[in-house]
Amino acid sequence: MNEARKTQHTLAMTIALISWAMLFATLFMGYAIYRSSANVWPPMGFARISLVLPTISTILILISSWFCYQMKLDINRGQVAPAQKNLNLTLALGFAFLVTQTLLWRNMNHSGVYVSSGIFASIMHAFTWIHAAHVLAALVFLVYLYFQFKRHAGNADALWMKTENGEKFWHFLGIIWILMYFILFVF
Amino acid sequence: MSGGFNEIHQEPTTFISKYVFSFDHKVIAKQFLWYGILFLGIGGIMALLIRWTLAYPGQPFPVLGPLLFPDSAGVVPPDTYAMLFTMHGTIMIFYAITPILIGAFGNYCIPLMIGARDMAFPTLNMLSFWLALVSGLLVIVSLFTPLGAAAGGWTSYPTLSTMIGSPGSGQTLWCLAIFVLGASSTMGAVNYITTVITLRAPGMGYFDMPLTIWGLWLTAILNAIFIPVLGAGVILLTLDRVAGTTFFLAGAAATSGSGDPVLFQHVFWIFGHPEVYILILPAWGIVSDLLSFFARKPAFGAKATALAMTAVTVLSTLVYGHHMFTTQMSPLLTQSFMTLTMTISIPSAIFFANWLGTIWKGSIRFHSPMLFSLGVVFVFGLGGLTGLYLGTVTTDLYLHDTYFVVGHFHYTMAASVLLGGFAGTYFWFPKMFGKMMNECMAKIHFWGTMIPLNGIFFGMMMVGYGGMHRRIYNPFIYESLRRLIPINEMITISAILMGAFQIVFVINFIYSLCKGEKASQNPWEVGTLEWTIPSPPVHHNYDVIPTVKCGPHEFGNPKLTNGRDFQYQTEDLVV
Amino acid sequence: MNVFSFDHFGHLFYRLNAANWFSLSAPPKDISTNGHLIDYLFNYTSYLNIFYFLLVCIGLFGFSYIYSAKRNKKAYYTYGNQKTHLIITAVIGAAVFLSIDLNITRLSNNDLLNSFWKWPDPKTEKVLKVEVMAQQWMWSFRYAGPDGEFNTKDDVVTNNDLRVPVNTKILFHLTSKDVIHSFFVPNVRLKVDTIPGRITRVWWDANTPGVYDIACAEMCGTHHYLMKAQLTVYSEEEFARWVGAAEQVAMNTNDPEDKNLQWGWKWEN
Repeated sequence: MNEARKTQHTLAMTIALISWAMLFATLFMGYAIYRSSANVWPPMGFARISLVLPTISTILILISSWFCYQMKLDINRGQVAPAQKNLNLTLALGFAFLVTQTLLWRNMNHSGVYVSSGIFASIMHAFTWIHAAHVLAALVFLVYLYFQFKRHAGNADALWMKTENGEKFWHFLGIIWILMYFILFVF
Repeated sequence: MSGGFNEIHQEPTTFISKYVFSFDHKVIAKQFLWYGILFLGIGGIMALLIRWTLAYPGQPFPVLGPLLFPDSAGVVPPDTYAMLFTMHGTIMIFYAITPILIGAFGNYCIPLMIGARDMAFPTLNMLSFWLALVSGLLVIVSLFTPLGAAAGGWTSYPTLSTMIGSPGSGQTLWCLAIFVLGASSTMGAVNYITTVITLRAPGMGYFDMPLTIWGLWLTAILNAIFIPVLGAGVILLTLDRVAGTTFFLAGAAATSGSGDPVLFQHVFWIFGHPEVYILILPAWGIVSDLLSFFARKPAFGAKATALAMTAVTVLSTLVYGHHMFTTQMSPLLTQSFMTLTMTISIPSAIFFANWLGTIWKGSIRFHSPMLFSLGVVFVFGLGGLTGLYLGTVTTDLYLHDTYFVVGHFHYTMAASVLLGGFAGTYFWFPKMFGKMMNECMAKIHFWGTMIPLNGIFFGMMMVGYGGMHRRIYNPFIYESLRRLIPINEMITISAILMGAFQIVFVINFIYSLCKGEKASQNPWEVGTLEWTIPSPPVHHNYDVIPTVKCGPHEFGNPKLTNGRDFQYQTEDLVV
Repeated sequence: MNVFSFDHFGHLFYRLNAANWFSLSAPPKDISTNGHLIDYLFNYTSYLNIFYFLLVCIGLFGFSYIYSAKRNKKAYYTYGNQKTHLIITAVIGAAVFLSIDLNITRLSNNDLLNSFWKWPDPKTEKVLKVEVMAQQWMWSFRYAGPDGEFNTKDDVVTNNDLRVPVNTKILFHLTSKDVIHSFFVPNVRLKVDTIPGRITRVWWDANTPGVYDIACAEMCGTHHYLMKAQLTVYSEEEFARWVGAAEQVAMNTNDPEDKNLQWGWKWEN
């Protein structure tokens, strides 16, 4: 692929990710305001959310990011077959992440933290929903990429752009999740 | 990074691929133009309905009234009135100005003026238009929902915009529409920024770009950064409405939990104040260029103008709190926002001086684009200066949420942007469609717009100072406001006049499109890149990518010998 | 009530005369001690604005006239040089900064610190405390009554009817039941939002007895325009008489079981 075209894609994806970062930054700003104006956190007598499931989610998405990165390196080297393998692992871990998220929501509901039970529950549910919706969208794209890999098995160059952008977006979601993990759950 | 990837795309052959699902930035620009003009018409009629109600409360709206409101014998009912001003604001800002100034001119001018064959990402560009169309449809649909459209003002402050104040699905559709439009605008912005950075013709440095491109580029940057902030805000608002979260619910009427309605105001204005500049920056850029083009003189301090615009862009991100003085933020925040707001006057004063410096000792040709540009200088002067009252905390405590604010922001956001948009339309119409617009009708249109426009918006500031507050269906139930009836009547008559003169524009537009005089390659005798190619340009714009050798404002150089008073950007600077 | 029966100030001449319009659009009568500060700053800003706008107009219309292509065939070829730019930028920047930014900000800050944010202290001076509850589409006012405590049986509660004594500082604590409203008294030039879940405050005093309008200035729903209350400024004796009678009525009729009446809260300074 043409070098100038690669520059364009890298630049555009970076700008797009800055935009997305602003969306999540706004959410975190809101969180900071709610949290700093509350006397106790969590408010209204809620207990903290157990860290087990969020920690598993974090580990899953971290490992998936690593496989995703390997996938990109393979494509850069022009090797589609190993990239395919790494993509499959990324996909599997990504879906596993969504499963743990679903379990997390169920868990919260079981312990009485329903969406509608106040600001703490609203934040815990809605922020993770918004992140999960992005993960789902990214997974749909990775599934598409899966079929693209099959189609252009011998032509890594044709896959460069999609792999590169998909990989960046996946890492971005990983970073956002880690921020959420520490800000919402640990801290 | 200029001179990047610039391939020639295959010219489409079928009607669908050429005019409907087109990848060509010129066609997408025209699609945005039609889209914007359509919504401008809808928003304009809404404005007339609002004005009629304010001047003649209880009187049926002539002609259209009985058709639209059969239940009340043609009188605008109070709930409809709230929907009207909400949708007027929403439509004008997001569905008229944004598509015309940013969608149409951005798409049309950026590649042509920087010497590119198309946008960096034509598919993204097309997607941006079609998402905007989906959003437009959502807004139209929301007008016909059972409980009516959104009615909480274009700012949609909760808790009025939550289920407590707006139970209808209109408000939910409003949120969705704004979110989809935000996605579309962000796509456009990513595309514009990348295009300007990577596709400038060889030799074109940032300060060789026409100021139009500067304006559009800064707008795109603001869009990319701040639209997502609003996106986050409307997501949370939507969740409050449909999923039972309580981000913005508080008070006795909120049955569960306690959020913070003021947070939405913060989020909204963090986006909203830059949005004001998102709308005006393209107009500033166009005006800065046109003043030079028609004064036949280099733009005075073009670099300073570009930097001043950049300074305003940066400052615009830091001042949003002046929209919220009456919510009683902490004293420190209040004072900081006042001080920061005031500093915007410095860069503004600088480019005003440069605008006047540009026409000083020029040889001014009063063609219609120039008239409209001079009009922008006048109305933006008024609009900008009246902002001082509102940036000052104490005067704002009286003037906030009165018609003074309405007059002020219409001068800056509506009048300036509208006149700037018309200037651009008259100026690039020959290039877009290969026909000239009728100059006589254009001048009638200018005076018919300019004079009533001042009647409307200055009148609004007068009634606002007189104490008339915003968004009220019938101001005259207040004894003390009855004295303002004559001024309100004057505003309404001005509005009707201004509306009537827009018909001249529509006729001119359609007539010129069909029967206009054929435009030459360079009817205005201007040296920027788009005038070096035929009108209208061929599908791939430039057969050979031009090489830029001088700035965009080379006029009146006494050393020019070829009988022209300007030179093209592709020519070596005559010294 | 048909507004058209209201006489539009007589004949056409009056209506065509712009000067009359300016006098019509003067703000309502200032009845407070501090309102003139806002009027003064408004006028001060206006003079500055007129000055700067005249400069723009002289340039705009003057240059357009003198340098039209008809009169001036050949434009002067200049970009201005770096030095002129620097000078122009510095001069304009300094002029604007000194005349506008520093002055207006300073005046406004002084007004805020010395007047509008100088909250009266009920312990040391005579202050009338009023709690305000806004809801769609009504203003409710609560006076503490003889015991000086809010939300008790002897509270005087009025709807859309605020009565205050002249020359007394009145300290309002405001909140809202449902959506955001804004407590706007044009005659004292002040407004403050009432926000559900929060208490905002404002103080002013009235120096002219009479009857005035209170409006809601923040869009609050379909009948926003009807959310109007009446402000009556009494002389001190009249106020004492009224409030005394109202307290009697309150003691006799207020039902402590009535949830709707118990919307008040404990006053905190």
